[in-house]
Amino acid sequence: MSVLKRLSKSKYFNTVLWIVILIIVWEIGATVVAATKRSPENILPHLSGIIESVVSKDTINGSQTAVQMVLENAKATISRALVGFGIGTALGFVLALFMSRFKTVEKIAFPYLMIIQMIPILGMAPLIFAITQDISKSRIIIAAILTFYPVATNTLAGFKAVEKEKHELMISYAASKFQLYTKTMIPSCIPYFFTGLKISAPMAITASILVDTLQGGIGLGCLLSQALKGAMSRYVFWQIVFLSAFIGIFSFLLMGIIEYILCPYKRKGNKQEE
Amino acid sequence: MADMQNSNVEIMLKDIGMVYKTNDGHDVTALTGVSLDIQKGEFISLLGPSGCGKTTLLRIIADLLQPTSGEISIAGESPRDARLSKKYGIVFQSPVLYDWRTVKKNIMLPLEIMHIPKAEREDRAMKMLDIVGLTEFANHYPNQLSGGMQQRVGIARALAIQPQILLMDEPFSALDEFTKEKLHEDLLRIWAKTNKTIIFVTHNIQEAVFLSSRICVLSPHPGRLSAVIDVDLPRPRTMDIKDTPEFTAYVAKVRNSCEGI
Repeated sequence: MSVLKRLSKSKYFNTVLWIVILIIVWEIGATVVAATKRSPENILPHLSGIIESVVSKDTINGSQTAVQMVLENAKATISRALVGFGIGTALGFVLALFMSRFKTVEKIAFPYLMIIQMIPILGMAPLIFAITQDISKSRIIIAAILTFYPVATNTLAGFKAVEKEKHELMISYAASKFQLYTKTMIPSCIPYFFTGLKISAPMAITASILVDTLQGGIGLGCLLSQALKGAMSRYVFWQIVFLSAFIGIFSFLLMGIIEYILCPYKRKGNKQEE
Repeated sequence: MADMQNSNVEIMLKDIGMVYKTNDGHDVTALTGVSLDIQKGEFISLLGPSGCGKTTLLRIIADLLQPTSGEISIAGESPRDARLSKKYGIVFQSPVLYDWRTVKKNIMLPLEIMHIPKAEREDRAMKMLDIVGLTEFANHYPNQLSGGMQQRVGIARALAIQPQILLMDEPFSALDEFTKEKLHEDLLRIWAKTNKTIIFVTHNIQEAVFLSSRICVLSPHPGRLSAVIDVDLPRPRTMDIKDTPEFTAYVAKVRNSCEGI
């Protein structure tokens, strides 16, 4: 009893519990699927089967093993997502800066930002493809568009959250507008900026994979749709699903780690007594 | 401008009025007919209940607000020129420190803005830390400090630009009584040492009597100067003075002049 109690207080208890429950449910599902003769068994394969496919040395297209193939495609998707994410972040930040500096820009731009965000990606993708005529560029642009909005809105919120007193201090120091931004506004908005990045990083990855499925070429999404259509082992499908989930979570955590490194003041606690 | 010949007058307010326009077009008079001469090196308290315009008056002196009527001069200059030549140090009710800067760098912030060379910035920041007694916390971040220590940093930062006038807007009202009393003594010590003119906004009568050389009582609806009381208690003042009949008499006198407000 006391062991259980101590376990339940542990930091990782929840995580471990969820993983264990997930595995149990999955395995029950896989056993049920295997028992019904009509559905192909690899619609929900046993986890052991997926792991086996990961370590297997059998080539599936004559030259590459399943894992090599997935990783090669992942590289293409991630690098596109990364470029899009970078462009979207830069544009989002700069637009937030202009919106905070010039009220008119905010009044003009803000409503349209909302609208861009509301168009479904699957509707936007063919349009952008028609404009750019290049699927790789379109994928980057879509990742950028999705990144752009959370970064711009959160950064703008950060600029607006700067206390009135800080503005007044800067006025009393006779600071220039440039100093106001470099010394006060931009450093103040960093935590908000990172909130935006944490939302948009996994979105850029997800969007990249989703837009991949629309056209051929190299990319996780392309491979995913081939695997779904049965042109490739179903195990490749499951490998991609797990890898994508991992990349998404990792991209979120990575933003947190970068913030942690850039903001040393956040981790120092121990308040002094009066 | 005849008063200007008196070289000891630091701040001259003449018939200051402030009228706001509300959203539905009504005029609200925040201040009316405030005239006051403040001598160099005085410790002036602006005392009154909320809504009496004491903070408004402070902000007008600081050139954060423009009065709608009246004249104001800071040692012969306009408030704007005084602000641009860094004559004001401001301390707010909250310390308004920069989380991402260490204590020392917080104090160096205004000096960076003034383009003061790095060596002198460091030097001045350490001197200010010494004055407020926080030398050993130079490399701490604000969130590691107690409320009282944070407010000390705020004062050190205001003093760092070597202003002639220190403007304080209820700087201790968020602190507990013990911390407040300690900071009162510290502030008087700093005032004696640096010889600044201090304008101190408060709604606490005891605080005003203990600190000030002169108390300006303001009353609301509309905000106006209703009494000016000299406080001739001996200096240096320590906590013990609060137990003397003279102190109690001043508190009673100030309270009487606030009554009926």
